[in-house]
Amino acid sequence: MIRYITGRVLGMVVVLFLVTLFTYAIFFLLSPDPAAQICGKNCTPELIDQIRTNLGLDQPFWTQFFTYVGGLFTGRTFMVAGAPVDCAAPCLGYSFQTSQLVGDMIVQRLPISVTIALGAAVLWVLAGLVTGVLSAAKEGAFVDRFFAGLTLTAMSIPNYVLALVLQFVLVVALGWLPFPQAVSFTDDPGRWFLNFLMPWVVLAAGYAATYTRLTRANVIETLQENFVRTARAKGLAPALVWRRHALRPALTPIVTIFGLDLAGLLGGALITEKVFGLNGVGKLTADSIAANDQPVIMAVTLLSAVFVIVGILVVDLLYSVIDPRVRTGGAQ
Amino acid sequence: MTLTSSSLEIEAAPGADSESLSESAPTSGRRLVHAFVKDWAAVLSSAYIVLIILMALAAPLLARITGWGPYEFDQGAIDPNMGAIPIGPAGGISAEHWFGVEPGSGRDIFVRIAYGAQVSMAVALSATVITTVIGTVLGMLAGYFGGIIDTIISRVMEFMMAFPALIFMIAILSALPSDNRIVLLVVVISLFGWPYLARIVRGQTLSIKEREFVEAAKASGAGSARIIFREILPNITSTILVMAALAVPGYVGTEAGLSFLGVGVVPPTPSWGQMIASAAPWYAVDPMYFVFPGAFLFLLVLSFVTLGDRVRAILVSGETRA
Amino acid sequence: MTARKRITGILAVGVTAVLLLSGCSGNGPESADQASSSSAATPKKGGTVYMLQNADFSYLDPARGWDGGVNAFYRLLYRGLTMQNAGDAKDPNAIVPDLAESLGTPSDDGLTWTYKLKDDLKFDDGTPITSAEVKFGISRAWDPQIGIGSPYLKAVIDAPGDYQGPYVSGDIPTIETPDAKTIVFHLKQPFPEFDNVLAQPNAVPFPKGSGGGDSFIKDVIASGPYTLASYTPGSVIKLERNKYWDSKTDDVRKAYPDAWQVNLGIDPATIDERMISGQGDDADAIAGKISAATLPRLQTPQLKARVISAPAFCTTYLGMNTTKPPFDKVETRQAVNWALDRSAVQNASGGTQLADVATTIIPPAVSGHADFDLWKSKDGKGDPEKAKELLAKAGLPDGFTFTMDIRSQPAMQAQAEAVQESLKRAGITVKLNVIDTSVYYETIGTPAQQHDAAITGWCPDWASSASTFIPPLFDGRKVTEKGNNNLSQLNDPAVNARIDEIMTMTDTDAAKKAWGDLDKQILELSPIAPLVWEKGLFLPGTNIAGYHPSTNMTDLTIVGLKDPSKG
Repeated sequence: MIRYITGRVLGMVVVLFLVTLFTYAIFFLLSPDPAAQICGKNCTPELIDQIRTNLGLDQPFWTQFFTYVGGLFTGRTFMVAGAPVDCAAPCLGYSFQTSQLVGDMIVQRLPISVTIALGAAVLWVLAGLVTGVLSAAKEGAFVDRFFAGLTLTAMSIPNYVLALVLQFVLVVALGWLPFPQAVSFTDDPGRWFLNFLMPWVVLAAGYAATYTRLTRANVIETLQENFVRTARAKGLAPALVWRRHALRPALTPIVTIFGLDLAGLLGGALITEKVFGLNGVGKLTADSIAANDQPVIMAVTLLSAVFVIVGILVVDLLYSVIDPRVRTGGAQ
Repeated sequence: MTLTSSSLEIEAAPGADSESLSESAPTSGRRLVHAFVKDWAAVLSSAYIVLIILMALAAPLLARITGWGPYEFDQGAIDPNMGAIPIGPAGGISAEHWFGVEPGSGRDIFVRIAYGAQVSMAVALSATVITTVIGTVLGMLAGYFGGIIDTIISRVMEFMMAFPALIFMIAILSALPSDNRIVLLVVVISLFGWPYLARIVRGQTLSIKEREFVEAAKASGAGSARIIFREILPNITSTILVMAALAVPGYVGTEAGLSFLGVGVVPPTPSWGQMIASAAPWYAVDPMYFVFPGAFLFLLVLSFVTLGDRVRAILVSGETRA
Repeated sequence: MTARKRITGILAVGVTAVLLLSGCSGNGPESADQASSSSAATPKKGGTVYMLQNADFSYLDPARGWDGGVNAFYRLLYRGLTMQNAGDAKDPNAIVPDLAESLGTPSDDGLTWTYKLKDDLKFDDGTPITSAEVKFGISRAWDPQIGIGSPYLKAVIDAPGDYQGPYVSGDIPTIETPDAKTIVFHLKQPFPEFDNVLAQPNAVPFPKGSGGGDSFIKDVIASGPYTLASYTPGSVIKLERNKYWDSKTDDVRKAYPDAWQVNLGIDPATIDERMISGQGDDADAIAGKISAATLPRLQTPQLKARVISAPAFCTTYLGMNTTKPPFDKVETRQAVNWALDRSAVQNASGGTQLADVATTIIPPAVSGHADFDLWKSKDGKGDPEKAKELLAKAGLPDGFTFTMDIRSQPAMQAQAEAVQESLKRAGITVKLNVIDTSVYYETIGTPAQQHDAAITGWCPDWASSASTFIPPLFDGRKVTEKGNNNLSQLNDPAVNARIDEIMTMTDTDAAKKAWGDLDKQILELSPIAPLVWEKGLFLPGTNIAGYHPSTNMTDLTIVGLKDPSKG
């Protein structure tokens, strides 16, 4: 077991390193000169050269790359307009366009993205499980078919279309909800809840549909299994049959997939945040790409990749705990 | 993206279905077709898909019939004193403009939707074909050979999946010049799409290679290539089919999403996603501008998902009946 | 009361419209805003005024930031020796004294300018503002990393060749402070509009030694009526009163509200929606221009009454690169000007309420504008036949193809498509090269990277004359390797010489007339095709008063609430 974990963690580190390298290289190659952008409209060649030196852009690629990686572990100091700015480890860089430490920018916006992700997650898991179990229990009945149609619809609407439609109907036309605004929970919990309601629903819709179908399929399959039939034949109360024998095996695969989905979302729900104007990490990403703010794009990409890779690792480890065959390298 | 990565896994290979799909030999084609034709959901969705494909192919013809090109302005159909909004109700629907016109330019929406269908279908279908081929080949290789080949391929898959695909696609597309946009879109989408299919195929291959008929083929001295393509591949065809059918709507959604974000096809080439993005600020006063591309997109995705669903159901019931 | 004011307002609009239409290039632009109750009423002291906007301000440091939005913001926080007049004055473009007692006194040779400061000027921590602080603040413009804002101080004031600002090179010897109330500037050459240069946002005082590194990124030392209360980047900026600002020393700023709150990062369509709804604090809010899609929503009487229209200070144009054939032939360029359907571009820009067809370089709101149209056509739709004739003369009877750089922003793309469509009629094919917004100006400003043409706009750095409009765009000697503004790379000796002449004229009225004439002279060479002048419609909250929006720089220092108790 220890060997397995160590192996996996090592593999994770390698993958992370490669992701960092590739991301850095791609942005290094593809992005236009950041010095020219910072220089602004009234640029002179001397000014650009000076900025390039300050940013360390005149160094060879590998030097720049390892300075960046080094900063992640030990922190760095940046020279901004002649004065040093300290960047504590893990140093995610300094955005010369917005004159802020990237780490600060992300930390500021993380709460909103996490709120959106967690709220939506709660919503889609509950919705998915409940409708999935209901559909499975009443397989073939009207309820089942109704939810089937609903899930198909939810899966097919692009989330930005849904977002725009909901916003128009609920906020502008009916006035049931206020415009999403930044209100902190401590100031006004009611308003805070209403603000996030639409983004939660929009984000959860697609996932909920998928989870419903998965739950339904798994529960139906489990219900046909021998051990459930046995339990029923033994005269066990239906509720107990459900809880102890049917639900648990049905839900295990969902847990693992949920981990991956959530990990992916923590990097910021780009489109949802952009459409609703919520100042989270996703919107930061969208804005930074539009403004070509390289340090921010690098940092967000890295962060997102970390979440996903750690998520995969956690999920695989959980799987190995549940299924001993995995540990020994058998079929996964 | 409309479909999440994990959802693709779930849809294509939930426990019971995949096993039953790969257990027995494929059933008679004729029986499957018969079952297909009797399933109204499958028929309807196929009909809509065919309609869109026809629309895409016949776009130039449609332009000639209506008398409007996709880039042609019609200044007479918009009101210059009211923010260049279309004249007339429902976004300017009239005998001349069947779906109305776009604000600001007066371009015919019907013709633009037809040309937009070209982009959506071309990108989605090409990306599906490419990712299916790459994903199947690499997945089978990884699953069958195991060992170092599997490790390398699996790590590459993990590496690709760890990249936040959307961010990358946006960054790459916005950095590159805008020629050959459709090709670029297909390349970028395929680059990030194949690992999900490969993972599923790999899983399937792993379970199939333990079966008796594969053992038998090995014992009879068949080479690896033969085994892979003659024994394993036919048994995962149904999975691949379902996978592909479900991948298409995902790619349609992805292309639309990228166009919505402004890194898709270059204007004035129409794309449904880009039309939706342009229509967003107008939804309060000219909702039809938003409704048409939105509805077409939604129905296309819905049709593909339903089709994939029904195909899988038919294949499964076909198996159990046989 | 309101009705009477409204009628007066309508009359004012009517008169203004007539004057504009008759091509009056008089002393100053008329402030052509309809009198809505938001501009006519007098604000009361107190309350908080809100601003809703999408983008963050570029910098809090006035030496770094330089665009219409942030310049308006700086007016609340900082003062300079001179400043632009109040937004509701008869001539809002004029330059008036601020920290100085009066406008500057030039020496006979025009190379030295002297100013005297008022008394009792203080920063927001109580320390006095003397000539030494004014000198220090101005010298920051030479720092290569800090002085990235307005270029005029460096361009006009003399300095040692290697001077790099106070943090690196220390004191600047060419600005003298003989006593605490007097400051003397030595210029490189005579510059009659030097008062304008000192009205630029970076010519503000700071305590000696302050502002190095990034200390002014998150905090300010204010000399104006407000100072920074809190700042969350990308989210919100809060201003509170600077209790050391003495209104007796300030003739222009009124500073009615007790506080300002700028809400950032809001989606533009959402901003329009909120201003229409006006719920809660939004009734005390102002925002930027409304978009074309919102126009049809503003048809109810209540909304119509709140809408204010502001004229355009900027010209959107198609610049043709005269170094790339076939644009090196004047007939080709003239053909483009004839073939263009400017009304289509107007529609793409939002129709008649949001844009006017442009036929000159200088827009009507800038002093010196002359009204003429060298390419008159029916309904302004262009004359493809005339264009084809000219093309035949240029040896291109079958038309030609060229590549046009455009920004990847939807409005600009729509304008580009309109250009594309209209030029097709004369056989000219346009290929669009869509460039990301973040690198657009860098690309078109680098002659080595430019393509055949580009759509861009130009706004004056000050509107009291056209001296910041024509020279940067058409002086052939100003073409630079990077950051070039003369996109057409026009280098006509007659034009260059005339520019030099007008720049030295001390009679401002004669100068204005001369710029107008030069406008026509340049357009006969057709280096650019003017497209539209983009006006603005603004919708302030119902509780806002004293609001005179400008598409260039709105004067926030005269805005307040009608009823602060509601705020």
